[in-house]
Amino acid sequence: MTNTLDRRTLLTSAVLGTTATLVGATAMGSLAPETAFAARAQSPEPGAPDPNFAEGRVTARDGSMILAAGSDGRFHRIQLTGGTSVWKLRPTTLDQVKVGDGLYARGVLMPDGTLAAESIWVNIVNLKVHVTAIGKNVLHLDHNGSRIVGHVVPGTSAAVYNGKPAVSDLSMVKVGKHAQVIGAWRPDTNEIDVATIYAAA
Amino acid sequence: MMGQVAALQALVIGVLLVWSSYGKLVGPLVGARARRTALKKFVGEERAEPAFRAVGGVELLIGAVLLLPPLWIMESVAAIALSVGFLGFLTYSRVASPDSSCGCAGSATAPVSWRAFGRAGLLLVAAVLASSADVSWSSLPGLAAVVVVLAEVMLFVAFSPELDRHWLLPLRRLKVRLTHPLAGTAAYDVPLATTQHQLLRSGAYRAVNSLLRSDIRDHWDEGEWRFVSYTASYDDRPATAVFAVPRLRYEPDEIRVAIVDDENGETVYRPSLLPVLA
Repeated sequence: MTNTLDRRTLLTSAVLGTTATLVGATAMGSLAPETAFAARAQSPEPGAPDPNFAEGRVTARDGSMILAAGSDGRFHRIQLTGGTSVWKLRPTTLDQVKVGDGLYARGVLMPDGTLAAESIWVNIVNLKVHVTAIGKNVLHLDHNGSRIVGHVVPGTSAAVYNGKPAVSDLSMVKVGKHAQVIGAWRPDTNEIDVATIYAAA
Repeated sequence: MMGQVAALQALVIGVLLVWSSYGKLVGPLVGARARRTALKKFVGEERAEPAFRAVGGVELLIGAVLLLPPLWIMESVAAIALSVGFLGFLTYSRVASPDSSCGCAGSATAPVSWRAFGRAGLLLVAAVLASSADVSWSSLPGLAAVVVVLAEVMLFVAFSPELDRHWLLPLRRLKVRLTHPLAGTAAYDVPLATTQHQLLRSGAYRAVNSLLRSDIRDHWDEGEWRFVSYTASYDDRPATAVFAVPRLRYEPDEIRVAIVDDENGETVYRPSLLPVLA
C-alpha cells in the first residue's frame, strides 16, 4: 500500500512538472502525433487467431499464472505481471481474477506459449438491450428475448445520454427504450453489474 | 347468462383471429416475420412465407365467418381445430426451435413463452364455449354477460406480449415516475467513465497513444486533478504513462501527460507545449 502511495506521489509530481528528475533533451517533445513511436509490430497472419489475444473461462489460478479454457476449445496460460491492467466492473487489482470468471486478455505471446498479459477484462459484456422495467437500483433488461437483471452500483455505474460525457445519474433511463450496456457479468447467472449505460434522454 | 356469454365468444374469437391474421398477411415484412418463426424449421425456409400467409388466410376466413351471421356450428368446430393446432405448433416451437418468434398475433414479434400457451389455451376454451351457443352474438346480450366477456378480453390482452407497450410499459413508467427508483444514483462524484471520455479526446492522449500497452491501471484524485496511469513502453523500456485530467471540468486541452521510466523513476517524456506548473 505504501508502495502504491509512493508511486502515485512520484507520478503526480512527474505529470504536473514538479519533479526534479526530468532528464535532458529527449524529454521534451511536442504534442504532434509523429513524436510518438511506432507501436510494436503486432500483425497476426491473415486468417490465423491473433497470437497476442486470449479469451475464455478461468479454470485454475496459481499465483500470477491463470489457466483459461477458450470458447473455441483452446487452452491459454496467461501470466499476470506488475504492469497488467485488470478491469472487473472498474479498474481493479490482480487478485480480483477468480476461478469461474470469463476474461479477455491482450498481451505478448512468450516463446514458451504463455501470454504475458498487458490488459485483462474480466466478465466484461457489451449488450444491446430493451429496458423492460426499473426497480430500486436495478434495471430489468431484454436482450434478444432473454431477460437480464442489471444491478446499478452507486458510485461506479455511469450513464451516457445522447453521447454526452458520462454522469453518475441514471434516473433518465426510460422504461421501454433501447440502450447499450457495458457491464460485468456475474458468472453463471443472468445478472450483470452495470458499468456504463448508453441511452437516449 | 351462460348462453349469452357463449354467444359472445364468436365475437371475441372473431376479432382475435382477424387481428392475428393482419400481421401474417399485410405489410412488406411478412416474409421476414415468417422466417423468424419455427415454420422455417417445420416446412423449410422457402415455404415458410407461403405457409405463414396460408395460416393467416385461414385465420381471416374463420374470424370473418364467426363475426358475420348466420350462425353455423361448423364455425366453432373450425375454431376449436385451429386453437388445438396453435397449441401443437407452440409446443413444437418450444421443443424444436426455442429461439424463434411465436408469430402469434399482430405485427410484433415475441418469443414463445408461457403467455403464448395461456392465450392459445384460452382460445380453445372460448371456442369450446362458442360451440354451445344457440343464438348469434348480435342478439343484445345482458350486462352481466358483457362484464364476463370484458374480463375475458382483459385476460387475452394480459396474455399478449405484443400489446405490452400499450398498457404494461406505461404502467411501469408511471411507477418509475412515482417512486424514482434510481434517484439515489445522482452524485457529485465524477465517474471514471467521464474522465476517460475526456482523456480519449485529448491531444495528450493522441501524442502517446502508441506507447500505451495497457488499459487504465490505476487512478487517484488530488484537488482539481484526477490522475490516470497506464503501462507504457518507451525505447523498449518498461514505463508508466500518467495523465492529469481536470476532474470537474471538460477541458481536454488542459490534459497533461508524462512518461516515467519504471526502473529509475525518471520522467523520460513530457510534451513541451504544456506549461510546467510551479
